[in-house]
Amino acid sequence: MKHASNAILAAVLGTAAIARAQPAPGDRPKPDGASGDPRGGPAPGPQSPYGPDPGQPGQPAQPGQPAQPGQPIQPGQPVQVVQQPDGSVELTPAPPPAPRPPRVHKMRFPEVLNTPTGWLLPAGVLYSRDRIDTGGGVSSDNRVGLGDVAEFGVSTTDQVRERQTDSTKERAEVLQPYVTASFRLGVDENRLFKGQPGVTLGFRKSFEREHLGSRTRIAELTLVASKHLGPDVAIHLGGSVWDASLQENADAAMPPDPITLHGQGFARQLRAFGGFEARPLPRSEILVDLSWAPEFCYGCASAAGGPSGAMGAIRLRPELAWGVRYQVASFMHIESGVRVPDIGNANLLDAQIFGQITFTSFALSDAVETLK
Amino acid sequence: MQRALVGSVAPVLASIIAATLGSTIAPRAAAADDAVAPSGASSGSAGSSGGSSGADRGRSDPAPLDDVAGAVPRTPDTSIGRMFRGPFRSARLFAMPTTDVIGAYILTVSGEGSLLQKPGVLTSAGVLAIGFGDIAQLEYRHTEAIGITGLDAPVPAVGVQLKLPIPEYPNIPAFGVAFRLGVPRGELLEGKNVDETVTDLYLVGRLQLSVAPWLTLHGGTRISFAKAAPADPNLIAQRTLLLPTAGYEVAMNAWATIVGEIALAPQFEWMPAIQARPTIGRGLLGRLGMKWRILPSIALEGSIGYQVDDAVSPEGVEAIVSSWDIRLGAAVFVPWGALACRAVGVFCNERAGARR
Repeated sequence: MKHASNAILAAVLGTAAIARAQPAPGDRPKPDGASGDPRGGPAPGPQSPYGPDPGQPGQPAQPGQPAQPGQPIQPGQPVQVVQQPDGSVELTPAPPPAPRPPRVHKMRFPEVLNTPTGWLLPAGVLYSRDRIDTGGGVSSDNRVGLGDVAEFGVSTTDQVRERQTDSTKERAEVLQPYVTASFRLGVDENRLFKGQPGVTLGFRKSFEREHLGSRTRIAELTLVASKHLGPDVAIHLGGSVWDASLQENADAAMPPDPITLHGQGFARQLRAFGGFEARPLPRSEILVDLSWAPEFCYGCASAAGGPSGAMGAIRLRPELAWGVRYQVASFMHIESGVRVPDIGNANLLDAQIFGQITFTSFALSDAVETLK
Repeated sequence: MQRALVGSVAPVLASIIAATLGSTIAPRAAAADDAVAPSGASSGSAGSSGGSSGADRGRSDPAPLDDVAGAVPRTPDTSIGRMFRGPFRSARLFAMPTTDVIGAYILTVSGEGSLLQKPGVLTSAGVLAIGFGDIAQLEYRHTEAIGITGLDAPVPAVGVQLKLPIPEYPNIPAFGVAFRLGVPRGELLEGKNVDETVTDLYLVGRLQLSVAPWLTLHGGTRISFAKAAPADPNLIAQRTLLLPTAGYEVAMNAWATIVGEIALAPQFEWMPAIQARPTIGRGLLGRLGMKWRILPSIALEGSIGYQVDDAVSPEGVEAIVSSWDIRLGAAVFVPWGALACRAVGVFCNERAGARR
């Protein structure tokens, strides 16, 4: 309970501090600026080289341009009060509102290759990423941006692995499909002050998976910051608290208590991760990241027995991945690269080449904005 | 002198005429402004920014309480689109009631589910509320309690929520009362059925400081009457609990807020092998998430939930796999009064929605 109070108090204070610089609400969300900055105002309209049209009396005013006195007031047209020099006033038609500039769709990816970033999907944006690799792994990740402050996703991951014994000769196998749900909450980069990194608090948890008579689950709590170092380079640094549970002989009449990672001490749950991305060409990015993934060993717990045996039943393995992302179209990216599932072994024979395709859609986002 | 007087008064009169003319011939513009006024999902902000409601109400002409400026217009010629542009207010954070009510002639249906709390099962909770007179609402809902099986499972309840009709001013808290009459929920434990009932009285307050209009603080106390009734009447356990609850809202933009909530909840405990009868204690529940007004009449909610269940496992926050979950929900607001007015001409009020 004490841990809980401390953590929640810290979360409350942290959120309040982060939000201290928030502007007061009251305005409609502005469309993306010309530079693609989601916080930016509308892009300036095209300017005539001959200067603004002064307008003629009796003609409707141009959008965003003041109307001339004496113009008739049309039904449904807003009016404005003009005070004359002699103190009298006159009602004139207000200029019709300027047409909205087209929305600029700007996308920042919620993942490098395997690790989360400190960036969130824009509100209403749909994201789908599908991947295969030479190790037989297949994964899919589908997300939606929520209100520019959060995102929700459901995915299948091929990062969780299993083995029967602790032998170094045995190669861990992919445990898939492993279905997880995720929710991330955060603050966009440069939102609070200039130079502020994008920060997200993420939570990912799996549904229970039963395989070979054992039930397993994983969960991960992450806090990650992402910062641009110039327009084409960005780094990502974060920490994660992992947890997992393994219950062997789950179908037995008296199944044993689950073995958990958190039962082995907090230090074994805590891990640091990070990533790097650079854009040497307008449509191409180089990506590198270091992540962690749980590995279940079914025979390890029963071999030693007790807490010492449990220590080997669930382990976190470091993964290194590097690759290239290429923008095929505004809605489609392809990525390819190399992933080393366990860099602790320094065995490149286990390395996998992967290919993945990512689709993003602003259709829902645009539809919501139109409906509003 | 007379010319100067005319010169100073004329602009004011002209402004009034212009405002009247503008609101008459250009209602869509006014409506659009109203739709934004309640500050999205922020109920707290809604209460203050949505209308300066209380303060203005206290100073304005005598009128029915539901005739506040910014209410959904109830006239036969109001379009459906205009009706669903609101404004609408939420009367809760996630589980905690706030000092606001949803408003007169409004109905809201909301629900949420936990994807992962119980493996393979989608637990859910819902609220059906209908507003009366802008100071009260009736509701059927699921309230928070931790059952004997260790889940933060909803307990059904019917309730009424009241907003104390006192003028609102900046830096002065607003207050509300909510009563939820529990309906028994049955849980099966080792072949034995236990009916759990929780009846609650909430006393809640809301504070919005003028120096930080983007932040709304909520706090209160939940007085909970909890009862666990196994089949054997000799084993019935009941207890009255005083449970503090608190929360906050941070407006991130016009349509989205970050919401945090922490509360103690009744916790039923019974292990028949070692306990003669059920016991009732306290459990800690925490939520951190967001509300997003995807449309003025539809709000999406998502949160990370934390539950400490000492009865089932003595683990703390580090037990992520068993103590944390993801919850998703949505709320839909229905302006039934305006719809009825348009359809059959009842519940109409020309003054509702008028701008002052």
